[in-house]
Amino acid sequence: MTVTAKTPPRSETQSPATAEELAEIVARAAAAETALYPVGGGTGLNFGLPARRSGLSLSTTQLNRVVDYPARDMTITVEAGRSMQSLRELLATQGQRLPVDAPQADTATIGGVIATATSGPRRFGHGSIRDFVIGISAVDGRGVAFKAGGRVVKNVAGYDFCKLLTGSRGALAVITQVTLKLRPVAESTAWVVCDIASYEKAETVLAELVRSAIVPTAIELVAGPAWERDNLLGPASGCCAARLLVGVEGAAVEVAWMTRQLQREWREQGIADSQVIDASGAAELWSRLCEFPVESASGLTVKATVRPSAVTRFVAAARAIDERALIQSHAGNGIVYVRYPEFTANEALPVLVRGLQPAAVAAGGHAVVYQCPADLELTHQAVWGPAAPASAIMASVKKQFDPAGILNPGLSLFAC
Amino acid sequence: MIATRLPALVDRLRAVVGDDGVLSAHSDLVVYECDGFVIEKNCPDVAVFPRTAAQVQAIVRLCNEFDVPFLPRGAGTSLAGGCLPVGGGVMIVLTRMKEILEINLRDRYAVVQPGVVNVWLTQALKGTGYHYAPDPSSQGACTIGGNVATNSGGPHTLKYGVTVNHVLGVEAVLPDGTLVEFGGLSEDQPGLDLPGLIVGSEGTLAIVTKVWVRLTRDPQGWRTMLGIFESVADATNAISAIIGAGIVPAALEMMDQGILVAVEEAFRFGFPLDAQAILLIEVDGLEAGLDQQRDRIIELCRANNARDVRLAASAAERQLLWKCRKQAFGAVGRLSPSYCTQDGVVPRTKLPYILERIIDIGRRHEIRIVNVFHAGDGNIHPILLFDERDADQVRRVLAASGEILDECIACGGSVTGEHGIGVEKIEFMHKLFSAADLDVMARVRHSFNPAGRLSPAKMLPTAGACGLEQRHPGRRAAM
Repeated sequence: MTVTAKTPPRSETQSPATAEELAEIVARAAAAETALYPVGGGTGLNFGLPARRSGLSLSTTQLNRVVDYPARDMTITVEAGRSMQSLRELLATQGQRLPVDAPQADTATIGGVIATATSGPRRFGHGSIRDFVIGISAVDGRGVAFKAGGRVVKNVAGYDFCKLLTGSRGALAVITQVTLKLRPVAESTAWVVCDIASYEKAETVLAELVRSAIVPTAIELVAGPAWERDNLLGPASGCCAARLLVGVEGAAVEVAWMTRQLQREWREQGIADSQVIDASGAAELWSRLCEFPVESASGLTVKATVRPSAVTRFVAAARAIDERALIQSHAGNGIVYVRYPEFTANEALPVLVRGLQPAAVAAGGHAVVYQCPADLELTHQAVWGPAAPASAIMASVKKQFDPAGILNPGLSLFAC
Repeated sequence: MIATRLPALVDRLRAVVGDDGVLSAHSDLVVYECDGFVIEKNCPDVAVFPRTAAQVQAIVRLCNEFDVPFLPRGAGTSLAGGCLPVGGGVMIVLTRMKEILEINLRDRYAVVQPGVVNVWLTQALKGTGYHYAPDPSSQGACTIGGNVATNSGGPHTLKYGVTVNHVLGVEAVLPDGTLVEFGGLSEDQPGLDLPGLIVGSEGTLAIVTKVWVRLTRDPQGWRTMLGIFESVADATNAISAIIGAGIVPAALEMMDQGILVAVEEAFRFGFPLDAQAILLIEVDGLEAGLDQQRDRIIELCRANNARDVRLAASAAERQLLWKCRKQAFGAVGRLSPSYCTQDGVVPRTKLPYILERIIDIGRRHEIRIVNVFHAGDGNIHPILLFDERDADQVRRVLAASGEILDECIACGGSVTGEHGIGVEKIEFMHKLFSAADLDVMARVRHSFNPAGRLSPAKMLPTAGACGLEQRHPGRRAAM
């Protein structure tokens, strides 16, 4: 049997009900040198290299209490296993939100979203999850519970483990509780969408957007077969290379002004046809763009992050390397997801190692495998690209948190 | 350090940076004996002024070879003793690394050397439609390298966040002399968020030699208001009401009567001197939405008993208001020969309580305290007025400061929102964090700084190379 990240060779799942119980499990595992695979909602397991060591799955889903929600302070303290959807519903009762997009919100947990640094289209306007974590409690690989940050929105006492643990993928510690900074719910939202004939033109329009009078919340450039016949966006115009979707949020008067203004600016740039998608259509579009990177369980998704000005060049390269590629980019941030409906191991070399990875490096960034089918065997280089120069110091940080190397062994860039 | 080895070290340092890049005479070094925290002082054995990252590497390697402590310094505006050279050693002053290396508007970033003064970047960006958002009140003097070290904030953090939210990457020299890059111009680099760890590490993990910062779009417009209140409680209730209404002002600052008098004397803005508190409230963003927010804020201030709400009528008036706020600390010189400012944070809803406690603490210790602070963030800056030549006053200031910070902790807050722990607040780390928390922090420090020569005795109570408990190592002023 092929051993993969999706089905780690674990003998059982432990679901502690308290952080203390969780710490005891980790301490026991450390003593026995048993590998532990922390898991929240299980929505982000197809990332990284497959697990090779047998061990235990450690679920945080029972740690799902709301510890404190002082709404007037616009902060909340919750345990890590709380689902994003239930968090969203709770915050909505106070007219507040965590403006971070997480796919599969009904199962994804806040701890998982933080551990994987998941973000979506809204990061252009609001920043990513790292910008909202102001306090964190976790258990390190020795079974020691520790915390950093606090419950106030501004705090520089001690090292900022809120940032260090965000995106650390459970390789340093198991997150048990977090305090988040919140924002008010936006009164209104809409999308303005246009089709763009060429990638060169797309870059011109994106560059103009940097100087636009409007304040976008999301700048999404999408390309590939499925986007060309999307029922929400309508069929793409005949000679369309990519579709540009700009999401705006704010007070109703602001959203109305921004949609009009952007259409005006686009007309001046020679884009005669654009459409505004608002009301329920807008909500559906936010959700679709949020889910896209993980939509297909069987395919492979690559995440590239490049200079924003190189996004169109990278997208064009990705389409040239393999025309099946379905692409979504948070173009304002230089983040590009390239999704292949099907992918086989022997495509890894031409498509990844000799294709997207050098294209990403040329565009000022890098490309990693974001989502990989359970039965696909890939090399370290295919998943992570060229060795990161900082991986030595990352490995030494890992050793301090997890001296026995039991937390998600082998899954991370720096912890093989 | 052992005095006999100093001349040899100085010679070697001169060989790296040239004769004009090294100071070793005591009279020259006195400038570097402290930063904005004047209560503890200690001269470095030598101060060195590199111009390149390669020179910083060479200096760090020499410090290791001679086994002397070393630490970076920017403009020395830090308020917590982060630049105090505990144990002497080599001070690496980064003010000659002051180039803005690149400004890229299309990709919304700038690359700067650590000695670039915060406001220089803002000036360089003028007219481009972009700015660098973190704007600490000391921005006319403080360096971006120093901002990175302390994760500086400023009045606009409520909406725009602090330094860490605007740093994409750093180039840094590790304590063993290795040059590394963490992060950079592309977001979400694989592996750990090391820029996020370095920012706010107070120079204890690495010496930053280059910074990639995110640039922020200028807002289309502003509405700047001055809410005048008869009581501190009314003003703080108005803050809660504004935030509770779902408005996120760009800035929400408070000044109490004590500071108003000094500011008015200095800048002649026309503040009402009998007001107990004023709120400086600014909303920014799209013109389309600003009047609506302004009207709502005025309504909420009035509902909370504001005597008056004035609107800055022109750009010039707005600038003067901000000048009054940002230079308020300078105006304190009119009130007393020395001052010590604290940097506690409380949940904003606890502001009325903490301000009452501060009044009480000041009364008991017979120390006059005035307040000017980032109310929207719950980040208080009580300014304790004293004369540093009077040992008894110094003692009472320290006692009062300690009590204020203890109260902040009791409110569920923190002892520092933006100034850092430095040496000043090292004793409070035990109160904020458990032994286990501090142990994990010490382990992380060890992974970067195993010999402990970089910035010893800072930030962590167990941060000495030998693991010994550190307590106010350099205290001298008036003690």
